Amino acid sequence: MRLEFDDGTLLLENAPETVLYAEWDDRVDAYRAQAYRYRALLEWVGQWAENNGQTTLQDGFSHDVTDAARAYPDLALTPALQIEPRDYQQAALEAWRTHDRQGTVILPTGSGKTFLGLQAIADAGVSALIVTPTIDLMNQWHATLTNAFGDQLTEKVGVLGGGSHEITALTVTTYDSAYRYIDEYGDRFGLLITDETHHLAAETYLQIPEMTIAPYRLGLTATYERADGREELLEDRMGPVVYEEAVDDLAGEFLSEYETIQMSVELTSEERTEYDDEYQRYREYVDNHDFDLWKEQGYAEFLKRTSYDPQGRRALIAKQRAERIARTATKKLDTLDNLLKRHHDDRVIVFTANNDFAYDISREFILPCITHQTDTDERTEILERFRSGEYSMLATSQVLDEGIDVPAANVGIILSGSASKRQYAQRLGRILRPTDDRQPARLYEIITTDTMETYVSQRRRDGVSSSADS
Amino acid sequence: MLTADLARSRTRDGEVRPLFIDISDERYRSTAATLIDLFEDHLGEPKGELEAAIDDLTVDNTDYKIVQGLAKLLKDECEFEQQATADPREIRQRLFERANDHYPIVRQPTLGEDTQKLEVYSAVADELGISLKECYRGMYADLDDNKLLVRFGDQTVEDYDAAETTSTTKLTGNSKQAYDQTAQTVDWLLARYNLALAQAVLYDASKMQIRVWDHFGTVFSYMKLFGLMHRIYPIDGDGNRVGSTDLAAGYGADLDGPASLFRKSQKYGIRMANFLPALPLCDRWEMRAEILDEETVSGSNRLTLDHTDGLVSHYSTGQQFDSDLERTLARKWERANTEWTLTREDDVFDLGAEVMIPDFAIEHPDGRRAIIEIVGFWTPEYLQSKLAKIRQVDADNFVLAVSERLDCADEDFGNASERVLWFKSGIHVYDVVELAEEYASNTESERS
Repeated sequence: MRLEFDDGTLLLENAPETVLYAEWDDRVDAYRAQAYRYRALLEWVGQWAENNGQTTLQDGFSHDVTDAARAYPDLALTPALQIEPRDYQQAALEAWRTHDRQGTVILPTGSGKTFLGLQAIADAGVSALIVTPTIDLMNQWHATLTNAFGDQLTEKVGVLGGGSHEITALTVTTYDSAYRYIDEYGDRFGLLITDETHHLAAETYLQIPEMTIAPYRLGLTATYERADGREELLEDRMGPVVYEEAVDDLAGEFLSEYETIQMSVELTSEERTEYDDEYQRYREYVDNHDFDLWKEQGYAEFLKRTSYDPQGRRALIAKQRAERIARTATKKLDTLDNLLKRHHDDRVIVFTANNDFAYDISREFILPCITHQTDTDERTEILERFRSGEYSMLATSQVLDEGIDVPAANVGIILSGSASKRQYAQRLGRILRPTDDRQPARLYEIITTDTMETYVSQRRRDGVSSSADS
Repeated sequence: MLTADLARSRTRDGEVRPLFIDISDERYRSTAATLIDLFEDHLGEPKGELEAAIDDLTVDNTDYKIVQGLAKLLKDECEFEQQATADPREIRQRLFERANDHYPIVRQPTLGEDTQKLEVYSAVADELGISLKECYRGMYADLDDNKLLVRFGDQTVEDYDAAETTSTTKLTGNSKQAYDQTAQTVDWLLARYNLALAQAVLYDASKMQIRVWDHFGTVFSYMKLFGLMHRIYPIDGDGNRVGSTDLAAGYGADLDGPASLFRKSQKYGIRMANFLPALPLCDRWEMRAEILDEETVSGSNRLTLDHTDGLVSHYSTGQQFDSDLERTLARKWERANTEWTLTREDDVFDLGAEVMIPDFAIEHPDGRRAIIEIVGFWTPEYLQSKLAKIRQVDADNFVLAVSERLDCADEDFGNASERVLWFKSGIHVYDVVELAEEYASNTESERS
């Protein structure tokens, strides 16, 4: 029998009729199996070599097997930073190993899932593909992997997604990109790591583990249960839950103290005229149609109307334009100018809500800048330089959440942000640490008076305090 | 093709219908014309400005999805290029490094030690041997928005500049005339748009069934090109299955991918979308596809299209002859005096993973028919794969013309070895006719 990886499946040439897991494909006159059966098929014929090279014979017979499917290399790595794993991380790794390196580990957020991933990569000793739900998370894994293994790799850490298409022995990707390309690369990795693995049970994403031959699999998540009860499918493709650590067992996360200072700026008279025009147009339309915008449903009705009423469409654009004028008010740059003067010896991160504004600031004040358009590679490099102190300032339009890759700063400046509670709280909590005892960390919020921003800022702070109360 | 957010379709009773636009509708024609002008006007300009101008068109237009969709198809015909004298990443890295030693960089210096940005920019410009302006502009020249539109269809910045400076070219219309042959016209764009709407529905397709009554070779080669797997069967004029290819008026095929054997998957939907434009190359065709939709009870809807939907293809029929040998034989045949006629690409042999489409069919008015494959001057690898295919063909009326220069012998042709005509430099019509007389099968008698 000959195993060959074919477009996300395994083609089994000259397979006996008793072959397991396979279907007869009359289109090619051969048996075909799903790629994830690779290891089980090798075990069936007694060709699966684990650790010390011993093969285990099952059913007391061995077929003559040629493995033309495997295209993944061995990869011996040791994490560069020898952090002592915490007890539960060690236990999780052990549990995964004893389950034949196939299974899911449930750990609470902020408990070092990525670190466990690094240990697993070193332990499995084969090339690995790491799949994450978002480009942000993909970027963070890239940064972490580069830090841990960069010096030992002959090639860089590969990136598939966000405009990059480089496949190397250690590659990070998103669920969307992996789904699209896995039939091409499913033979190139011996270890599949899926972050936030509960997303994987979606019908489309499930094809990612199905179309890869990786004999080792590690799922990572904080919340395994799904409302639709599709975890069973996940278990079949990724292995069972091998370890679970409850939230209460971990110490609460340290949130640093900081003081918030709000500063306001006026629109220039030109901006004011334009703002009022656009805002008026929006307001009038909304008032004339009696949308109750304070309720979610009212806003949804408004949006629906914009899809067929040209006036409504214009009103929506008016709202967006007014928001943009407030967000990018020229005088904000004057205030920023002053703040950068005051804090030129500090570690400063400037937040904006849109890319263009971040680039404007980067050009004007010559600040390193990270947006959604920044290459994963360059992003990792800029953050590394910020961490090492080579850069002391940073402008970004991105939510740098999940502590791992955001080096601490003691000054944050929000030039414009989104009203989302979660985003805001995370931005604050994770990055601000005082650099010395005399001076607390500071967060400046620069908002434009007499605009929608005033309201948004109020709502944002309400959101933070109410979540702190709960 | 369109991105999924620009797709427009309506589903009713399990039938998906793309919201095709009426190509003769003045409203769309004028939108299309405006867009094409816009793209031409932005040759040599940054992509960001082009995008902003497109957005402006949709400010109070509820057809913005159509506008953006048309614009997307035009963008697919564009090339944007980074304009920088030095590597942008290198420029900014040097800027940030230098700036870091000189913070604060301020707009209004208040202290003697304050730095102004100009000092940093000029120092880095000097280091790199570029001008101050090149340094400032080059810093983010690799951003998508800052790349310049250098080609739109057949038009390049150079053409555009030339037309600007030498206004005579423009006035005489010489250059304009040349464009009209291939350039992006209103009709081209609107036809392309309707096709793209149908393609967008197919992104979620799990299975496609087609029937075609002509251009088999073209259709099957596109199937292969886009990596679709198939089961093929001959059909009659009404689309019913028939027993043999000799009786076929057309062919039906079920298309999906390798993993479809195990599960319904829309993984191959994008391939089917890519394949779709091959169908309107046929004069008569039908297509139906299963479109997965988790929100319906059945889990899927259906898309049906055929040649009456007015779709127009932009793919090539590739009807040119594969080799000089074939062309020469076809030409000789026209001059020859025989009742047998030579027609191209008429039969399809289903070989499982692949199909083999012989070069010609030879037909007699009395219903006798043979098919012929010409084995000319091929590389050894190609010859081996071709021979493997030929050996699989199971048809008594299949004959071959094989060059003596090739490194192969009768036995390489398996069952067909007796039906081989060896030739030295050219193929003679009457030798082929003789072969046909001997091996042709009588399709009329089989039918009765």
